[in-house]
Amino acid sequence: MRKEDTVKLISAEGFEFVVHKDAAMVSQTIRNMLTSPGSFAETQHGEVTFPEISTTILEKICKYFYWNLEFASGKETEFHIEPELTLELMMAANYLHT
Amino acid sequence: MAVLRSREIVPTGTPPKPQKTRNDNKLEPPTPAQTKESSPSSHQDPIPISTGSAPGRVPVLGVAPRRSRRLASKLVEPPAEGPSRDSVQDGGRQRRKGGSREDAAYSAEEKAKEEIEEVKTDSGSEEPRFWSSDLEEAKGKRKLGVVDGYLPSLECSEDGEGGIGVLSLRSGKRVSKRGNDGIEGGRQVGEFGKIGEDKGKAILDSEEASGEFRIPKISKGKRKISDSGEEEVIADENGDNRKRKGKGLLVEDDGLVSNSNLDVEIRLETEVENNSGDNVVSNEGQVRNEFMERFRDIARRNAYRFAHFDGEEEDNEPHSEVDDEPDIEDWPGPFSTALKIIRDREKKNQQPGNSSSREKKPADVVWFPKSNQDCKWSKNVVPSLQELSLRCLANNADKLVSLDYFPDCLKHRLSQLLCDSRRMNAHVFKLLLQGSPTEVCVKDCSWLTEEEFTKCFQNFDPSNLMVLQLGFCGRCLPDFLLCSTLACAENSLPVLTTLSVRGACRLSDIGLKSLVSSAPALRSLNLTECSLLTSSSIDTLANSLGLILRELYLDQCLSIDVMLTLPALKKLEQLEVLSLAGIATVCDKFIREFISIRGHNMKELILADCVNLTDSSLKIIAEKCPGLRAVDLSNLRKLTDSSLGYLANCCRAIQRLILSRDLFSDKSIAAFLETSGECLEELSLNSVRKVGCHTALSIARRLRVLRSLNLSFCRGLTDNALGFIVDSCLSLRVLKIFGCTQVTSVFVNGHSNPDVKIIGLPMCPVLEDFKEPSV
Repeated sequence: MRKEDTVKLISAEGFEFVVHKDAAMVSQTIRNMLTSPGSFAETQHGEVTFPEISTTILEKICKYFYWNLEFASGKETEFHIEPELTLELMMAANYLHT
Repeated sequence: MAVLRSREIVPTGTPPKPQKTRNDNKLEPPTPAQTKESSPSSHQDPIPISTGSAPGRVPVLGVAPRRSRRLASKLVEPPAEGPSRDSVQDGGRQRRKGGSREDAAYSAEEKAKEEIEEVKTDSGSEEPRFWSSDLEEAKGKRKLGVVDGYLPSLECSEDGEGGIGVLSLRSGKRVSKRGNDGIEGGRQVGEFGKIGEDKGKAILDSEEASGEFRIPKISKGKRKISDSGEEEVIADENGDNRKRKGKGLLVEDDGLVSNSNLDVEIRLETEVENNSGDNVVSNEGQVRNEFMERFRDIARRNAYRFAHFDGEEEDNEPHSEVDDEPDIEDWPGPFSTALKIIRDREKKNQQPGNSSSREKKPADVVWFPKSNQDCKWSKNVVPSLQELSLRCLANNADKLVSLDYFPDCLKHRLSQLLCDSRRMNAHVFKLLLQGSPTEVCVKDCSWLTEEEFTKCFQNFDPSNLMVLQLGFCGRCLPDFLLCSTLACAENSLPVLTTLSVRGACRLSDIGLKSLVSSAPALRSLNLTECSLLTSSSIDTLANSLGLILRELYLDQCLSIDVMLTLPALKKLEQLEVLSLAGIATVCDKFIREFISIRGHNMKELILADCVNLTDSSLKIIAEKCPGLRAVDLSNLRKLTDSSLGYLANCCRAIQRLILSRDLFSDKSIAAFLETSGECLEELSLNSVRKVGCHTALSIARRLRVLRSLNLSFCRGLTDNALGFIVDSCLSLRVLKIFGCTQVTSVFVNGHSNPDVKIIGLPMCPVLEDFKEPSV
C-alpha cells in the first residue's frame, strides 16, 4: 500500500493501526474527518487518534472495515464478535457511526 | 356524447348512419312485443358498402319472443369474433329465410352481439355499417350505437370481446328483460357499437360479404342466444339508459369497449336494424356461446376501467357514488382539474391506439430497465457494526451485567431485538430499569408475570422517567398492581410524558384513573386494546389532562362508545393525534361534532376500520383540519373518490397516508397525488385494487420525498410502472410489494435505484425488515 492510500488509527494506548483509506472510510466519522474541506488536523497528517477506544476494540474495528469491503463486493461471510467485546464495540461503533 | 335514451329500431333497408342517426332513432323500450320490422329506416347511415347487407337481407326480424340472452349465449360458442359475427349475420340471414319472428329476433340479437364484439375490438375502424345494415333488417327501428363499428371488426380482427363484454357487464347486474330479442339486443348492441363507430366506417360491405360467406348453423343456438344475450343487452342498456342518463354512456362503455375504443364516448347511436339481427341470427349456436363467453371475460376484465372515477364498485352501494360524482365534477378545485387532466391524457393516449389496444395498453408507463443487469447491488446492505454487535449482545443477554451508560436508543434497539426473539426476561428487564432511566421501552411484556413485575419495580426510581412503554402488559398489570407499584402515589411519575400500556386488558377505569393522577405531565397516552375501558375513563382523562394531552390512541377499545365520549374528547384542547382504529361506533355524526371543535389542531387521524364512515366525514375532516399530517383510512369501504377530492383540495401537507383496502379508483388517486402529494413521505396503497399506471405516473412525478411505499396486492401495476416509480423517487427507501405476482425480474434487476429495499418478493426473507410502528 502506498502512503497516500493509508490512514493511521491510533488507539488509547498508543497503538497505531495503518489501514487503507477505503477501509477507514467505512466509518462515517472518519470519512467526514478526512474528506471535509475544513481544518481537521487529521486530514493533513493522515492520522486519527481515539483516546476512548482501547486497542482490542480498535483492532476489531479495523477487521470490521475490511469485512465490510468484502461483503459489499459480494463475499458474504459472517463476522464473529466475541461476547466480551460486544458492549464496548457497540459503543465505539456508535461513536464512529459505523 | 350521445346519450342513448330511447331508441327506435331502425327499419332495414338503407345502411344506417351510425353517427348521425342515433338521436333520431327512438329506441323502443324493450318490451316483449316490441320488435316491429319496419322498412329500412331513413336513419340508417349511408354506409358505403353493405354488400348486400341491407338490401340483401330480408328483415325477418319481427317481434320475437324475448328470451334470455344469457341462455342464448350459453348455447352459442362463438369461436372468434369474425366467425361469430359472420355466423350471426348468417344466422340473421337464415333467419330471414326462415322468416319467423323468432328467428329475426335472434338474428338481431346475434347481430347485436356481433356488434358488441366489433365495438370492442380495436379495429373499431370497422364500420358500423355492417351492423347497422343488418340491423336494419331487424324489426323495428333500433338505434345501434356502436354496433356498426362492431360488425366489421368482427371480421377483421380479434375479439368479439367487446360485445360480450357489454352483455356480461350488465348481466351481472340487471336481468335482461325479455324483449325483442333480436331487435332489442341489436339495439343495445348498437349503442355500444357506436363507440367503435367513431373509428370510421369500416367497409361494411366487405364485412358483410365475408360474413355472409360463413354461415354457421344457427338454428339451435339461436333461440337461446337471443334469449340470453338480448335480454342482457336490452335490459342493461335500457336499464342504464333509464336510470342514469348521464351515465348511460359510461355504463355502456364499461361493458363494451375492451380497449381504448371504448374510452371514446359513445358518439353516435347507430340504428340497429332488425335486419342485422336477422343476419346475425344465423350463427351457429356454438359460435355464439363462445362469443358470449369471450365477451364476458373481456368485459369482466375491462369493465372497471370504464367505471367512472368515483367507481362503480360492484360490492358497494352505487348510489352514493352517483350522487357524489357530480359534486366533484362541479368543483373548480385543484382536484377536479387534476382529474380532468388525467382523463384527457388517457383519452389522448387512447385515441391513436384504437386499433391496436385490446388490452389496456394505453396507460402503461414507458420505462426501460437498465441494460447492465448483471451488476446487482447486494440485496442486503452491509450490516453495520452497531447492528452486528447488538445482535451479538442480544444473543448473550444473559451475561449482561450492566447497561449503564448505554444510550437510550441502543437500549430500545436491544430490547426490541430481545422481544422479537422471545428472549426477553426479567434479568434484562431489571437491567433496563436500573439506575434512574429516562426511557424504558419494552414492546412485549407478555412473558412478564405479576410477581416478576413487582420484583422488578420494587427498587425502581421513577423520578426521571419520561417515556414508558409496556406493550402487551395485560398479564402483569391488573389494577391493584399498578396502584402498588407505578401509580403508588399521586405524582409518582412526575415527568412522564409518554405512556403506552398497549394491551393492558386488565386495566379498568379505576386503574387508569390512578395512573393518570400519578402522571400529571402526560402528553401521549396509548391505550390500544385496553378492552375494559369505557367512556368514563375518557372523562377522567379530560378532567385531569384536558389541557395538556396531545396524543390519544384508543385503537380497539371496544367497550368505548365514542358518542358518549364526545363531551370529554371535546375538552382535550391540545389534542393533535387521535386514533380510533377498529371502533365500530365511530360514525359520521361523531366525526362531524368532534372535528368541528377540535379539528384545527388535529395533525394525525387514524380511522382505520371505522367502517361506518362515509364521504361526509371526510368532507368535514378536510374542511376543518388544515394541518393534517397523517391520516389512515384503511378499510373504509364506503368512501368514494369524492373523499379524495375533499382531501386533495384542503389538506395539502399530508405526510403519511394509508389507504389500504379502500375502493378508490386509479384516476382519483392519481389526481390526489398530483394536487396534494408533495409532502408525502409514506404512502400505503395496499390492496387498493384499482391502482394502475395513472397512479404510478403521479407517484413518480410528484412524490419527491417519498420514503416508504406500499403497493402490495396492486396487481394492476406492471414492471414498467414499478420501475418508473423506483427510478424516479430518489428518496424512496422501502418498497413493499407483497402479493404482486405480476412483478418479474425485469423490474427487480432492472431498476436503477441503489437505495431502495424491495420487500415482499417471493422467497425473500421479511422478518428482518419488519418494523413495528413505534410507540
